[in-house]
Amino acid sequence: MLPLSLLNAAQNKPMLVELKNGETFNGHLINCDNFMNITLREVYQTSAEGDRFWKLKECYIRGSTIKYLRVPDTLLDAVKEEQNRAREAGRSARGAHVSGAGARGRGMPTRGGRGMVRGAPARGGRGRGRGA
Amino acid sequence: MASLQGYVDHRVLLILQDGRAIVGVMAGFDQKSNVVLSDSKERVYSMDEGVEEIPLGLYLVKGDQIVLIGELDDAVDQSVDLSTVRAEPLPPIRY
Amino acid sequence: MLIFSVFKTLTDQQVTVELKNDLSITGVLKSVDQFLNIRLDSIKVLDEARHPHMMAVKNCFIRGSVVRYVQLPAEHVDTQLLEDATRRGRCTAKTMTVTKTTIALTVLSDLWRDAQSCIPTLYSTIQVFH
Repeated sequence: MLPLSLLNAAQNKPMLVELKNGETFNGHLINCDNFMNITLREVYQTSAEGDRFWKLKECYIRGSTIKYLRVPDTLLDAVKEEQNRAREAGRSARGAHVSGAGARGRGMPTRGGRGMVRGAPARGGRGRGRGA
Repeated sequence: MASLQGYVDHRVLLILQDGRAIVGVMAGFDQKSNVVLSDSKERVYSMDEGVEEIPLGLYLVKGDQIVLIGELDDAVDQSVDLSTVRAEPLPPIRY
Repeated sequence: MLIFSVFKTLTDQQVTVELKNDLSITGVLKSVDQFLNIRLDSIKVLDEARHPHMMAVKNCFIRGSVVRYVQLPAEHVDTQLLEDATRRGRCTAKTMTVTKTTIALTVLSDLWRDAQSCIPTLYSTIQVFH
């Protein structure tokens, strides 16, 4: 689980960002990039001493100034779930592709024709049969 | 190649540049040593009282803030009674 | 790159790493990378009483940027070879790319490239390996 993938998945979620200078920013993540530069909305900024507060509609934080980010615990499971679902979807899509292409390849010499529309379903059927 | 791969899904101790000590399960890392820690707790050491453990939850720590990542031996860690430990907090990094 | 090569030749040796927060850790050097991040096994914190924070830690990863010193075993570092390699690094215009894992081999590959201009050093190094 890459830290940047966790951050990308945290878009629209609330988080706490502490900067190297000790200031904290509480807000919802709008966007982030590979340098971990982030934009937050509805931000509550607290000074390093904890005595001064600001409310900002939106702010941009440079990644190089961040010390750490605190995100909701539920996010980890949500991201892992999403990654698993994406992997399953990718696998099934690739599987259909492979069996379809294989059937077409093998069908060509015996058929001798590429543009045989009537042949196509049968070719596909053969591929599907092999796949199953 | 000094890699953090061996620590994934293990309980680790993270020491940060400001002297903080955080324990948690390492969920992930990247080339810049940014680390994702789940179920993390900060251990605050003092000379007057025992170690205070503050639960923090899911944490993403920037690699440039990390001093050291140590693999926690769970057996040894369980046997330590944190309330009896007295120590100065770790000094911060000074360049 | 040169110091990276030095560390690569010292894997499985006992070293002591002093950090910029004054923490000193002794352990077996397991691996090193291009940023001089260090992996140590079987570690022991030098002033254990003052730093009980790492009682349950047996091996660790140390970020290169926070290391102040690394105390190396003197018998495992050939300072003469190191000096020669350093001087050669200064006389070649381009930076050396380390493709082998030992300093000796680094020196040889460098010599191969600079045979014309560094014949005197070629002679002395060949003598060393004899």
